[in-house]
Amino acid sequence: MAGRDLGVSGGGFPGSAADPGTGAGPGADPGGAGAGPGRGAAGTHPGTGAVAVGPAVFARLKLRLIAGNLRGDTTRMLGFVFTLLAALVVAGLGFSAMAMLRSAPPQVAADAVTLLFTAILVGWVVVPLLAFGLDDTLDPSRLALFPLSTGRLAAGMFTAAVTGVWPAATLFVTFGAIAGLAAGAGGVLLGTAAVLLQFVLCIVTSRLVTTSLSGVLRTRRGRDVLAVSVIFFILAAQLPNLLLNHGFSGDPQAMLREIAAVLRWTPPGLAAHAVADGGLAALAEVVLLAALAAGLGFLWIAALRRAMVTADASTEGASVRNSRGLLARFLPDGPLAAVATKELRYARRDPRGRVGWFAALAITGVMAFSLNGGEGGTPGPVLAIGPACLGGLMIGLQSCNSFGIDGRSLWMNSMVYGTARDWRTDLAGRHLAVAVIAAPALAVLAVVAAFLAGNPVWAVPATLTAWGVLGVGLGAGALSSVLMPYTVPERLNAFTGAAPGQGGIAFAGSFGTMIGTAVLALPVALPVLLGLTWVCALALPYGVLIAAVGRRIAGNLAFARYPELLASISQPA
Amino acid sequence: MDVADAVRTQGLLKRFGQQVAVGGVDLVVPHGSFAGLVGPNGAGKTTTLSMVTGLLRPDGGGVWIDGADVWRDPVAVKARIGVLPEGLRLFERLSGRELLSYNGQLRGIPKDEVQRRAEELLRVMDLTESADKLVVDYSTGMRKKIGLAAALLHNPRVLFLDEPFEGVDPVSANTLVEVLRRYTASGSTVVFSSHVMELVERLCDWVSVMSRGRIVAQGPLDEVRGGRSLNEAFLGLVGAHAGHEGGGEGLSWLGATSA
Repeated sequence: MAGRDLGVSGGGFPGSAADPGTGAGPGADPGGAGAGPGRGAAGTHPGTGAVAVGPAVFARLKLRLIAGNLRGDTTRMLGFVFTLLAALVVAGLGFSAMAMLRSAPPQVAADAVTLLFTAILVGWVVVPLLAFGLDDTLDPSRLALFPLSTGRLAAGMFTAAVTGVWPAATLFVTFGAIAGLAAGAGGVLLGTAAVLLQFVLCIVTSRLVTTSLSGVLRTRRGRDVLAVSVIFFILAAQLPNLLLNHGFSGDPQAMLREIAAVLRWTPPGLAAHAVADGGLAALAEVVLLAALAAGLGFLWIAALRRAMVTADASTEGASVRNSRGLLARFLPDGPLAAVATKELRYARRDPRGRVGWFAALAITGVMAFSLNGGEGGTPGPVLAIGPACLGGLMIGLQSCNSFGIDGRSLWMNSMVYGTARDWRTDLAGRHLAVAVIAAPALAVLAVVAAFLAGNPVWAVPATLTAWGVLGVGLGAGALSSVLMPYTVPERLNAFTGAAPGQGGIAFAGSFGTMIGTAVLALPVALPVLLGLTWVCALALPYGVLIAAVGRRIAGNLAFARYPELLASISQPA
Repeated sequence: MDVADAVRTQGLLKRFGQQVAVGGVDLVVPHGSFAGLVGPNGAGKTTTLSMVTGLLRPDGGGVWIDGADVWRDPVAVKARIGVLPEGLRLFERLSGRELLSYNGQLRGIPKDEVQRRAEELLRVMDLTESADKLVVDYSTGMRKKIGLAAALLHNPRVLFLDEPFEGVDPVSANTLVEVLRRYTASGSTVVFSSHVMELVERLCDWVSVMSRGRIVAQGPLDEVRGGRSLNEAFLGLVGAHAGHEGGGEGLSWLGATSA
């Protein structure tokens, strides 16, 4: 490239008024972070080869990415409209909630804003991380080849980050704090500065974290770990439920005060206090926040510089143990053993498998013990049998899209299966693998629930009934796996378990399986729950029967329509 | 149907919405040939191969492999064919060795036999060292090789490969070619799609040229190319001409020493 001064125009971003001939950037400033906002045209610094691209180009790039994502796809369009509406609702509700705090006692209002600011900041750090990949502008390596100085890149990426529906909603909600808290002209003035800094902190912290982790996120292992961490998100969502169920005795106002006291000196706490105070303390806090934002921005630029030249290590893989698998030792050689062994390996090695199982077991546990925690219920075997049955139902739901995790690789099986019987055997292998994990897990759950309920003997009917419910769930799940199959995206995020446009099918599939299982399980579960405990002896045979019937119908259906089945689990996600 | 043909389709048709992806394809591949299915991107090669191998349901027409109807007699057909589909769709979380043994067991081959064949295939494909790594961590060349090994494991009579050489380094490509040559020398049939004309010219004795969802030429290699290079014949058949107007105009700034 020596001697050649490529006029890199904004050609990749149509619409920018770039003209390499006239748009030479004023004042080359290769190291500086301060690309003046509003300067949109691209141009070349004579001599350096670095290009002066104003942040406006990045904003346009972001808007174009959003628009391009929507083109020609009705479901995506609907999804975007939904997002837009959701953001409007969140912005409206958030703003009015903040504004309404004015009628609350000042201390409570300040504490509430502290809590909300913290929640917003944490949300900005966590959500983009879990949904990494939704936004091309998040990944600095995509921009590494453009002749941009790191400072300009940072300014541009910051602009791209604040362009969008959710940043606008966040900013709006954050401004609600002024309406709710600020006192006097000083309050409004310093409050505005504090609110803007809180917003900038959200964006910069979020970018700093994603950029520092972008190297890790590009490796397979890093993504695996992150995918499994989604689970904590799911569990965290259960936390309020758990607290409420245990009849949290504390006074909510006291609780708010305690939490806010802890958060008082965190950046969101400082920002909230600055809005409420509006005096000299507020001025100091605003200065502190500005310094903090600048510091984080500096760290971010350093992280960017490093991320762009760090190698992708995704092909370095460790070996797995070459074992035949426990199950294969007991099963006759053939497709049943092959499928069951493969399913067990997937439950362990695929993050989606791990997340699915962990979520099912954890949610079952949480629900079981929150049921137990309720006081005033009639003590009796129901307290042991109920949670166990619920566990059977939850784990049965795991297999309402049995082929989903296989996804596109299912062609390998359909290349082999020439009869409905083959598909039945395949489903049987999957059911076997589920049972190998679920049967002991349900037994443990039943024993624990029986102990908590006061009589260890109740574990026996609880286990048997739970196994029966699991069998029913597997039968119903086999049907929905074939009738309502959907693609499980390779990259999990906490917000959707299906490919774009298939959310409805996924919901219908799992909801249908749940209702179907509950209805079909009634003949055995209801008498047991009502006190006819001996009926539990019939539960297991009944469950096995329903599972076999489910496999029979599903096997025939799968054989008849496997090309369509294959297509619906191979959607681009 | 003529049993002499390894593969024969008649009026094979597939629409995606308004767009006709494959519009009445009559593909013929004689037994024992090393056949190339060539065509520009979007000609319908992958769609055709998917329908021929029973992975995609055609909207019309029929497919016969060794005289057996793919959609009426799947058992007979599936035992006879091996497939390496486009996009390298494999069970990512199995190791290479586990993938082969999974495939063999699904097909009901005795375990010892599966193990013997798998080890041999891994050795020939030069994958022994990576046999216990997960497929998700394989490179493109390794994935194509393990995919081919899986497709060959049950000793099929007809092998379908969709773009087997795309993104493969020369060393791996050479391995693939050696294995395929040995395979056809024993009288088996290979059908592969490609747009690398030099490769098709070097390997194939039978060529089918597709363009816009139709077969525009088909037959022995020498007949199709008619004295020209296959590349020239191909460009003529699909309606693109060397030195096409527009290729020389415009882009006047390109290569200039300063801009």
